[in-house]
Amino acid sequence: MAGRSLTPWLLVAPALAFLGVAFLYPVITLLLSSVRAQDALSLGNYAAFFSDRFNLEVLGRTLRVALVVTFISALICYPAAYGMQSVPPRYRGLVTALIIVPLMTSPVARTYAWLVLLGQTGIVNSTLIGAGLVKEPVRILYTEWAVYIGLAQLFIPLMLLTLISAMENLPRDVVPAARSLGATSLQSFTRVILPLTREGLVVGGTLVFTGCITAYVTPALLGGARVQLLATLLYQKAGVTVDYAAASVISVIMLALTLTVAGALRGRTGRTR
Amino acid sequence: MSHLLLERLHLRYGAAPAVADLNLEVKDGELVSLLGPSGCGKTTTMRAVAGLLAPSSGRILLAGQDITHLPPNKRDIGLVFQSYALFPHLSAFENVAFGLRLRRVQDSELRRRVGAALDVVGLSDLADRLPANLSGGQQQRVALARAFVIEPRLLLLDEPLSNLDAKLRLDMRGELRRIQRELGVTMLYVTHDQDEALALSDRIVIMRAGRIEQQGTPEEVYARPSTPFVADFMGWQNILAAAAVPDALRRAHPAATHFAWRPETVTLGHGTTSGRVLARTYQGEHLEYLLESPLGRVKAFAPTGAAWSEGSEVTFELSTERAAALRDA
Amino acid sequence: MTSSRLPRVVLYLTLLFLVGPFLVVFIAAFGGEPTLKFPPSSFSTQWFGRVLGVEAFRGSFWTSLWLGLASTGLALLLGVPVAYALSRYRLPGAAAVQTLLTSPALVPGLVVGLALLQYFVNLGGSVYPSLLAAHTALLLPYVVRVVSTSLVNLRPDIEEAAMSLGASRLTAFRLVVLPNIRGGVAAAAVLAFITSFDQVAVSLFLTGPGVSTLPIAMLTFMEYNYDPTIAALSTLLIAFSVGLVLIFERLLGLSRYV
Repeated sequence: MAGRSLTPWLLVAPALAFLGVAFLYPVITLLLSSVRAQDALSLGNYAAFFSDRFNLEVLGRTLRVALVVTFISALICYPAAYGMQSVPPRYRGLVTALIIVPLMTSPVARTYAWLVLLGQTGIVNSTLIGAGLVKEPVRILYTEWAVYIGLAQLFIPLMLLTLISAMENLPRDVVPAARSLGATSLQSFTRVILPLTREGLVVGGTLVFTGCITAYVTPALLGGARVQLLATLLYQKAGVTVDYAAASVISVIMLALTLTVAGALRGRTGRTR
Repeated sequence: MSHLLLERLHLRYGAAPAVADLNLEVKDGELVSLLGPSGCGKTTTMRAVAGLLAPSSGRILLAGQDITHLPPNKRDIGLVFQSYALFPHLSAFENVAFGLRLRRVQDSELRRRVGAALDVVGLSDLADRLPANLSGGQQQRVALARAFVIEPRLLLLDEPLSNLDAKLRLDMRGELRRIQRELGVTMLYVTHDQDEALALSDRIVIMRAGRIEQQGTPEEVYARPSTPFVADFMGWQNILAAAAVPDALRRAHPAATHFAWRPETVTLGHGTTSGRVLARTYQGEHLEYLLESPLGRVKAFAPTGAAWSEGSEVTFELSTERAAALRDA
Repeated sequence: MTSSRLPRVVLYLTLLFLVGPFLVVFIAAFGGEPTLKFPPSSFSTQWFGRVLGVEAFRGSFWTSLWLGLASTGLALLLGVPVAYALSRYRLPGAAAVQTLLTSPALVPGLVVGLALLQYFVNLGGSVYPSLLAAHTALLLPYVVRVVSTSLVNLRPDIEEAAMSLGASRLTAFRLVVLPNIRGGVAAAAVLAFITSFDQVAVSLFLTGPGVSTLPIAMLTFMEYNYDPTIAALSTLLIAFSVGLVLIFERLLGLSRYV
C-alpha cells in the first residue's frame, strides 16, 4: 500500500480529537480533582474517604460481590459451554440467540424481572411458602443475595459466549484423543479442556469482574440503600449529597480496579460493558 | 522502442532493501517475465510499477512519461492478481465493466466492449454469475478480461496461474499467449515457474535477492545460463566448482567459477570417470541415476533400456561441448 | 460424544436462568390487579395503554430514540475511518491509537457521566450535547471493533484492483469496500444503537428535570409506582430486542460480532 502518507492520520484524527475533547479531558480533570483541595495538591480527599468505615465496608462489599459473581459464573459456564458441543447443530443458533437476547435487552427491564420474582409476594416466596418450607416470606430483595443473582444473570452471557468460543476453537478431536488414551471424562476436562481454554476463562472473568464493579442498575434496584456498592455510593455522593470530593475519589478507585483487571485483556477492543 | 523503463530503482520493504538498483527495459508489445524464487523482489518490482509501492529512489517511465509519483489510478496499467481479487459483490459482467464505468464509457459502447472481452476469454455465457459461483479458472479469466478491457498501456500479471491445478494451468498458459498476441498488449509477467516463463515470454528476467541475475530470450537463459543460480533454476542439475573439472575445460573458460551439465547430456556406460550408482528412479521416458564420483554427485538420465543396478560402478562422460561455463555473481 | 448429559443440562438450566425472568415479566404485564402480582389472578392489557399515557415515557422515548440514532451515526462517521486506517495502513503508534479508542469502554460509565456533568453542564453548556458526546464516546469502541473485524476479513487486494482500474482510494472505498462490509457496518449500528438506547450509567448524571432518557425515566417511575406499567414497558423493550436480534441473526449472523 502506498507509502508513509498522511492519509491514515487524517482518518484517525477526527475520532482522536473528539475523544480528547469530549472524553479524555473531562475524565482526566475529574480524576485529578481527587488529589486537590482548596487549589493545592492534597491527599486529604483520600484520607477522608478511607477514614469512613462505611466507605470501606462498601469497597469491601464491592470486591466481594465481584469476586463471588465471577467465580459463580465460571463454575456455571464451564459445564454449560461444554454442553453446547452436544447440542444438535440445528439448535445451536437458537441457543446462541437465547444467550445474546439478554445482552441486548435493557438492564432496567432485566433487573425489574427480579423485583417481580424476589419480592415479599414474589414467585420465589410464594413457592417456598406453598411448599411448606418457610412460614414467613424470606427477605431476599435488598440483600446481597439479590445482588448476586441479578449480577450473575447480567454477566453470565459474557462468560458463556467467551467460553463457548474458546471451546469451539479447541483443536479438533483432542477430547476423543484423551479418552482413547484412557482419560475419564472428568480427567479429559481437567487435563485437556481446562488448560486449553484458560485464556478464554481469563477474558470472560475480566469481563464479568469489571462489569460487576461498574454496574449501577442492579445494585440500585436489588440492593437498595442497605446493600450499597461503589457505583451506587458514587451516585449518592455526586447526585444526592453533592460531595464531589468523595465522588472523585470513588471514580479513581473504580477506574483503578477496572484498569488493573482489564490490563490482562490488552488488545481486545471494547468488550466490557 | 522502449515502452517501460525502470531506472536505478530502489525499493524498501520495512527497513530491508527489497529491490536494489534495478534497471529494466520492456519494449512495445513484448511479454517479459520476471522469474525468481519467492522473496527475490519480483512482486515488489511489479507493485512499484503498478503504483502500489513507492520506490525509495529511481524512476519509472511508461511510454516516455515519468510515472514514478503518479497514483495507481492515473497510470492506466492493468493488473491481474494471484488471488484474482474479483469484486465479490459484482457479477462477472460488472467486474469487467468496472474500469469502463469509471471512465464514463457510453452504455452501448460499454456493453460491446465488455461482451467482446468476455468473448476473448470464453465466458460470454457466465456474464451474470457472481465470482463465488465461478470456478478458479473462470475467475482467472474474468480477472484477465477486467484488466485488459480498459486497454491499458501495460498489463501486469502477478503469478496469475499459480492457484490453478496443473492441467488448467497448461491450458491457461496457451490462452494467455494467444490473448497477448491477439491484443498486442505489452505485458510484465511475474512467476516463479520456469516452465511457464519459458513457454510464454519474449524475454525472461531472472531475479535474485532484489537484483537482476540474468536476462535474455527463453532460448538464451535456458541454453546459456551465466551464473550457478540461473543454471540451477533452469534445471542444470549438475553444477561443479571449476576446481573439480578437467584442466582442458578450465583453460577454455578461465573466468568461469563453475561448470554445469544438464542430466540428459551426461552419457553413461563409457567415459573417463567412474561412479557408483546411489539411486535409480523411474521417470517414465527415462531412468534417473544419482552417481557418487570423485567429481562429486552427478545426476544422469539414461534410456529405460539400459540398466545399472544400485551399488554398481558405471563410467560416465561430462562432455566439454555441452558444458555451461558459469560465473558466480 | 460419549460423555454424560450433565453439561447440556447445566446449559439448559443456565438458559432458563437467563431467559426465565423475561417470561415472568411478560406474564406479569398482563395482570389485572392494580399492584404488581405474580402470578396474576386476572387478565388485562390496560398497562400497555398506560405506558403510552405516561408523559415521562413518551418524552424520554423520543429523547432515547433521537440520542441513539444520532450517537450511532456520529460513532459510525468517526469510527469507520479509524477502522479502515487501522486495518489498511501501517500506522506508527497504532497500538496507542487503539488503546485510546478502547478507553471509553474501560472507564466506568458513571465516571464518564460525572466527568461530563462537571465539564459541560457546570460550564453552562446544555444537557443534550453532553449526552450526545458521552454516548458517542461510549459507542466508538464497539463500532471500531466490529467494523475492523469485517475489514480484516476483506482482502485488501480488491481495492488495489479497483485503483488499477482507475478508481481513487475514496472511490475504491465507496464502490468496492463499503458494499462488502455492509453487514459489519449494519451489525455495528445495531449494537451501537442498542447500547445507547439501553444506557443507564453514562446518562444518569446527564439527565435531570426536563431531559430524561427512557431507562432513566423507568428508574424514576419505579421509585413511586408499583403497578405493572413497568412490566408492560419492559415487555415491549424485550420484544424490541428479541425482534432486532432475530432479524439480524438471520440476516448477518450477529453472534459473530458480539
